[in-house]
Amino acid sequence: MPGYLYILVSLALFFIGMTGVLLRRNALFVLMSVELQLGAGSLALLAFARGLGDQKGHVVAFFVMALAAAEAAVGLAIVVSVYRARKKIDLDGVNQLRN
Amino acid sequence: MNYILPGPSLLDKLAFIVLASAVLGFGLLTVTRKSAVTALMALIGACCALAGLYATLSAHFLAVLQVLVYAGAIMVLFIFAVMIVNRDDEQPIALRGLFLRAAGVLGAGYFFYRLAWIVVRERRADVLATSITLPIPEYGNVASIGRLLFSDFLFPFEAISLLLLVAVVAGVLVARPPRPTPSGDRERVA
Repeated sequence: MPGYLYILVSLALFFIGMTGVLLRRNALFVLMSVELQLGAGSLALLAFARGLGDQKGHVVAFFVMALAAAEAAVGLAIVVSVYRARKKIDLDGVNQLRN
Repeated sequence: MNYILPGPSLLDKLAFIVLASAVLGFGLLTVTRKSAVTALMALIGACCALAGLYATLSAHFLAVLQVLVYAGAIMVLFIFAVMIVNRDDEQPIALRGLFLRAAGVLGAGYFFYRLAWIVVRERRADVLATSITLPIPEYGNVASIGRLLFSDFLFPFEAISLLLLVAVVAGVLVARPPRPTPSGDRERVA
């Protein structure tokens, strides 16, 4: 399939994820939406790598995946920690990480 | 040397349409569902469909990694977090500052619309059009990506392993329950 269709899918997926980040208030949903955005970025990287006939985009997408794992580990740890302190994870109410 | 494959066949088109609509549909479900477990399952579906899209781009190594790392490892983390903190929120959509957020979404929507318009306008460009020729026969498989990782990208590769180690330690440290002190009250560490 022509590469521009992949870029369009990637744009749409990134927009969906960004809507989730902006509109949801539950921290878990925000983290899930961030994962969607990272997936959209990887898709664009791979589509352009395919268009350029270059494999460096694959390596960068690999690094994005590792970064996503690190981000999920730290982000979910913070969510669990905030939940312990406040018994809720609404992002609107959280304004300090210090307890 | 280019290896010419036949143009997108009917099966290729069908696979792309099914996978792309699955990615977008599951993505929408993830963002809109009220229950965290449902959203999580939709996210797993989105990740698997995304892996299928990677495979149609002949990024086979990344497709397998997407299933292993995202749909496997990261989703297990999410499931455990949902098990610990799951509460049905009565107000899934943020109401405070809704006007500003909606303005942000609309502005970003216009931005993405313009971007998509540019992409469609430039669809004849080489980068955006060619997906028929494979530059090398082993494009995107484990051996060639691994060769690249251990030659040109050796330093970032090692740096990212250190980053993962730091992230794991930080996760343990941040999520650790408060330790009871000898005086009886609980002390927050870290």
